[in-house]
Amino acid sequence: MNQNKKSKEPIQVSHLDIKFRSEVTSHKEASTLNACFSCGTCTAGCPISEVFPEYSPKKLAKMVKLGMKHTVLSSRFIWYCTTCHNCEQHCPQNVKFFNILNVLKNMAAKEGYAPSPWVEQTQQIMKTGLIFPQNEESAEKRKALSLPALESNGAQAKKLIALTGIDKIKAGSPK
Amino acid sequence: MNPYALFLGCTTPTQVIQYELSSRWVCSQLGIELVDTDDFVCCGINQINLSQEAGLLLAAMNLAHAERKGLDILTLCAACTGALAEAIEKLKDQETRDQVNGKLKTIGLEYTGSAQVKHISRVLYEDVGVDRIKSEVKRDLSRLQVAPHYGCHYLKPESAFEGFDDPDNPKTLHQLISATGAIPVQYETLSLCCGGKSFPISKEPAWSLIQKKLDNLMHKKIDALVVQCQTCYLMFADQQKVLNEQLGEQDHVPVLLFPQLLGLALGANPNNDLGLDMNGISLNLLLSKAGIKHTI
Repeated sequence: MNQNKKSKEPIQVSHLDIKFRSEVTSHKEASTLNACFSCGTCTAGCPISEVFPEYSPKKLAKMVKLGMKHTVLSSRFIWYCTTCHNCEQHCPQNVKFFNILNVLKNMAAKEGYAPSPWVEQTQQIMKTGLIFPQNEESAEKRKALSLPALESNGAQAKKLIALTGIDKIKAGSPK
Repeated sequence: MNPYALFLGCTTPTQVIQYELSSRWVCSQLGIELVDTDDFVCCGINQINLSQEAGLLLAAMNLAHAERKGLDILTLCAACTGALAEAIEKLKDQETRDQVNGKLKTIGLEYTGSAQVKHISRVLYEDVGVDRIKSEVKRDLSRLQVAPHYGCHYLKPESAFEGFDDPDNPKTLHQLISATGAIPVQYETLSLCCGGKSFPISKEPAWSLIQKKLDNLMHKKIDALVVQCQTCYLMFADQQKVLNEQLGEQDHVPVLLFPQLLGLALGANPNNDLGLDMNGISLNLLLSKAGIKHTI
């Protein structure tokens, strides 16, 4: 994931976390990683990889298997997925890379690398139940078009998701 | 036809109001009863990034509210459709369902698995049907050539949609467009994603995606790109304008939301019923080509 072209030193075994793979696959959603044989069909069909080769599902899967925990979790590229599901649609091994990536992102968020847009959206849901609550402009437009005023059950949403600790996640800066 | 609880999502009712307006108009015209509720919240799709559990809980909360009303859910946004359908799939696992219900209990709710979720286009396709739509057409749109864009979460993950359409060779939106009388155009980048879910994190990759599709469509000389999700709409319409300003380009590919196209076929007033005047890229050329005397 390192963009520095000079950085081609061998991967140091002493820098790897050999438990990382099992830490990831112990999550039910990520257990399919064990079926991956690194064919690269995921990356071949990924629209983001095509326009932005630094992001590659195959590369990320391999890095997890090698145990490159810190590099993977601190990387900004794990957040670049556009959630199109092509990777798993065409995987010959039925690996659910979208779910694996979500496990990685959840781990990264806990380690302090959550991008601010997702943290801000969560804060908005905690307040109103919605990512984009009604504002003055949209309220006026809706009224002029005889559309009902926008309401949502923000109090319930707040109580519910606070049970997961998502409200404790702070925004950080992925590398 | 069964009534549906209308799931507006977060973006449509505040930023793409014409999608809601035109959806309500076509539903009322075709006898699809929509029930409004104050109980729905965000579908949870973006919260999955930080906590899969939080995302699933939000989806389950919405499903449980629909169940309590004895209603299935009609969605407008492809991503809300995907988030709720994926949640239904995950909640088939008893262990997951028990864990979720343990938490839903604290807000007095329970998920039982009775509510289904359908995107508006799927309701039009399955509940109304293309033959009935054809029989209701009042305006001739046969001079219009439009490019369909499905939206990833309308089709995938395939396992969450019970074989409704084929993600690798989708047909339902093509058939719905044909039912309006307009001609669906085949094009190479049909399945290319709008990039909307990566856009908040990094703009450039998403811009590259929409530019690729728009370049493809510029060569096809189409009258409009037809989308069925407000995020796809915002990317292909609003971000197209941003890109064109950066590049000093004058030509634009007009973008229509499917219920707007359908509404035109059904005889709606373009502005009052469908909000065509709220689309940022002018649709006047399209209207005059269709012989509709109306200025936006």
